[in-house]
Amino acid sequence: MSKAKNGGLKTATMIRNSDHDFLTRVKESEQDTFAQRAVAKAQDAQWIKRESARRDLGNWEDWRNLGEQIRQHVVRYLPDYLEEFSDNVEKNGGHVFFAQTDVEAQQFIKNLAIEKQVKQVVKSKSMVTSEIGLDKALLEIPGLDLLETDLAEFILQEDDWDEPTHLVFPALHKNRDQVREVFIKKLGYEGDNDPQHLARFARKVMRERFLKNEMSITGCNFAIADNGMINLDTNEGNADLCMAIPKIQVVCMGMERIVPSLKEAEVLDGMLARSAVGQKITTYCTFTSKQVDGETDGPEEFYVVIIDNGRSNALGTDFEPILQCIRCASCLNVCPIYRHIGGHGYGSIYPGPVGSILSPVLQGNYDDFSELPYACSLCSACTATCPVKIPLHKLLIKHREIEMDDKHMANIIDDTVMKVVGLGTGHSSLFRTALGMDHMALAPLARKNPDVAENLYSNGKHLEWMPFVFGGWTKVRDLPDPPAHSKNFRSWFAKHKKEQAKQGGLEAAVPQAPKNSNAFRPTGEPVLRADGYHQNGHPITEAHAHAKSQTKAPSRVGHHAASLAGENVPAGSHIDGDDIAKAAAQQEGTRNHD
Amino acid sequence: MTDRETFLNHLAEQSGRPRHQLKDNPLVPINDLPESTLSGKTQDELLAIAKENSEKVNVTFQTTSKADLPQALNAFIKAKLTDNKDDPYQANGHDHLLLPSSDLYKDFDLEGWRDGLTDPKPTYWMPGAGRDANIDTAERAGAAIAFADFLLAESGTITITTTPGQGRAFHFLPVHYLSIIRKSNILPRTRQAMDYYAPALASGEIKTSNINFVTGPSNTGDIEMVLVVGVHGPLDMTYLVVEDM
Repeated sequence: MSKAKNGGLKTATMIRNSDHDFLTRVKESEQDTFAQRAVAKAQDAQWIKRESARRDLGNWEDWRNLGEQIRQHVVRYLPDYLEEFSDNVEKNGGHVFFAQTDVEAQQFIKNLAIEKQVKQVVKSKSMVTSEIGLDKALLEIPGLDLLETDLAEFILQEDDWDEPTHLVFPALHKNRDQVREVFIKKLGYEGDNDPQHLARFARKVMRERFLKNEMSITGCNFAIADNGMINLDTNEGNADLCMAIPKIQVVCMGMERIVPSLKEAEVLDGMLARSAVGQKITTYCTFTSKQVDGETDGPEEFYVVIIDNGRSNALGTDFEPILQCIRCASCLNVCPIYRHIGGHGYGSIYPGPVGSILSPVLQGNYDDFSELPYACSLCSACTATCPVKIPLHKLLIKHREIEMDDKHMANIIDDTVMKVVGLGTGHSSLFRTALGMDHMALAPLARKNPDVAENLYSNGKHLEWMPFVFGGWTKVRDLPDPPAHSKNFRSWFAKHKKEQAKQGGLEAAVPQAPKNSNAFRPTGEPVLRADGYHQNGHPITEAHAHAKSQTKAPSRVGHHAASLAGENVPAGSHIDGDDIAKAAAQQEGTRNHD
Repeated sequence: MTDRETFLNHLAEQSGRPRHQLKDNPLVPINDLPESTLSGKTQDELLAIAKENSEKVNVTFQTTSKADLPQALNAFIKAKLTDNKDDPYQANGHDHLLLPSSDLYKDFDLEGWRDGLTDPKPTYWMPGAGRDANIDTAERAGAAIAFADFLLAESGTITITTTPGQGRAFHFLPVHYLSIIRKSNILPRTRQAMDYYAPALASGEIKTSNINFVTGPSNTGDIEMVLVVGVHGPLDMTYLVVEDM
């Protein structure tokens, strides 16, 4: 970590999920062509769903600002919120336990299961329980029967505890035939490979277990500080069945998973569902606590385990924004590297951009995850899609900087390191995918203005750090940001030729955006009302308003980025650059195509 | 386990920020999008929006009047249970009708309807019947009829408070599910629901351990991202909006 705090460092020990080195894992992943295709398909499908859900909501950039504000505020006052929350859980008759390490949390729950003499335990999907290695610990109890009830987790469990590969779709790497095989072999299934039949069969098997359940273990999407409830989002309803039937419930929560009140939970539930699966809200969104007098189901004993496990390593450092994460996995869903190497390639239970940042933070060193910060092409699609505006690609660069400076000092840059470094930035097909990623889809393109030559190298920002190995080097030179792929000269030229052909080749492309994007901005402040943005009393477009507000005040991302580099960094990503270009084109009278 | 003070002090120390600063720095939202989005709609407009969004999440959306409510409920029972004997779930013993114990029958003029039900004779989630008995009753239910607090237009979501007479598993174990909602209780979004629940919970006006926001039947995309409707919870859902209430 950037601050030397090794004295009191409590670190995660169980987040690594592969014994193979990074390059081996990448090779293995590259050979699994089904998984690769599945990831690509998932990314493309989720792209359409996510972007249209966000567009339907409207004012997405302002929602992001609100989401960021809530999460930053909570992280800033984390001890106070945790104190308030734990007081309220106890007021409701529940119990709160604080665990600084994975082992502490795991042992507490294991001992509770032993003490309560439970034999039937069900779980609903939870990343943090994987993080603390809970399943394994519980299965050490003789005679204890443990069931993962999220369908994907259930499939993985039945397949001898195969590792999940995606935060939202953990069994993405399995096809229907593989699922059928597992069900035949382990559960005596006799049907075909139709997903509906497979799911109905799983329903029946799991229902029997739900009814026998003595203790449930759930995660927690958000903990409500001012009333001590926990908030869970699922689509299957498994978490609710877990919680309704047994007398004992254990909630495992990462310590940052907290919100001030039901209102902020509601905001984030909506942003989470839209970002994760393109839904307005998950099918089941539940706010829950210990049973109150008169109710007949729900937990009579309610335990919340609040887990640090290395998260506090991020506090007070450049990596603090990673604690804003709400685990929507949209950064995985836009990442070209994830598309290429899949979840198993990362070797951590947290894959994708968020995982590459979080894994070394939780561990407090780079021992197991030294390569992950290089599993990135710096296309910045993750930063642009993050609903709570974590500057993900900048944090990856920060990791590289720290790590490389360390390695440099120790003189251990060798061939292996160089190969890994080359993965994201050197591999030409990957780099091209990376550039194209953000723009290959679909809905966003349809609304785009024609690109103009002037925009090619004028995203309005510079790359403060380059992806290369020599940490100090980029501090003395700013390089222009590589243009977004759609504005890469060749693709622009190809598109331009097409446009020309469409128009009968009569019009030549004339650069339309003025060089100084500030020069043409009207003076009044954009005002956001329910029916859209207004300026000087007239309605204006969302893109226009953003362009305006961007020049006005450095955003929080900009602020954080500045703290990373120790110098001023303009906000945002190439999507923001697009917005500026769009606004500029509009201002010049270019027709908007929507 | 780590003592709470040690845990929290460690966080303060790591972050370099002293504890107990929140009181002077409460969260002041930077915009009012949660309130203003979809605001200013009439109840008729909200009903239309709710219908559209409910149907998008595979809900059967129906409206009725207070007078025709019994008839609409009977049609549901007939379709899901009486005329549906070949259904494999019914064949496996999920053939009961589950109803809540509630004062709301009176509000909806449904007491006579309830007491006259014979085919099938209803079973009830009973306060005081105990955990095992109620869960067993709910598990045998081929169909359940429940009362919702609100319907949220933006997402097609019903909100339900757990009560002694309408427990948690009531909404998850039955095979088919119908929810009765007053038209006047259609709200624009989740925010307006929280504007009710947050103060009502704080003041003790409602005493509950659990609030469910349910948006259509349970579903999953876990196998090859193919949408399968009906996983753990009900296989289908019907919203029945009573227009003159």
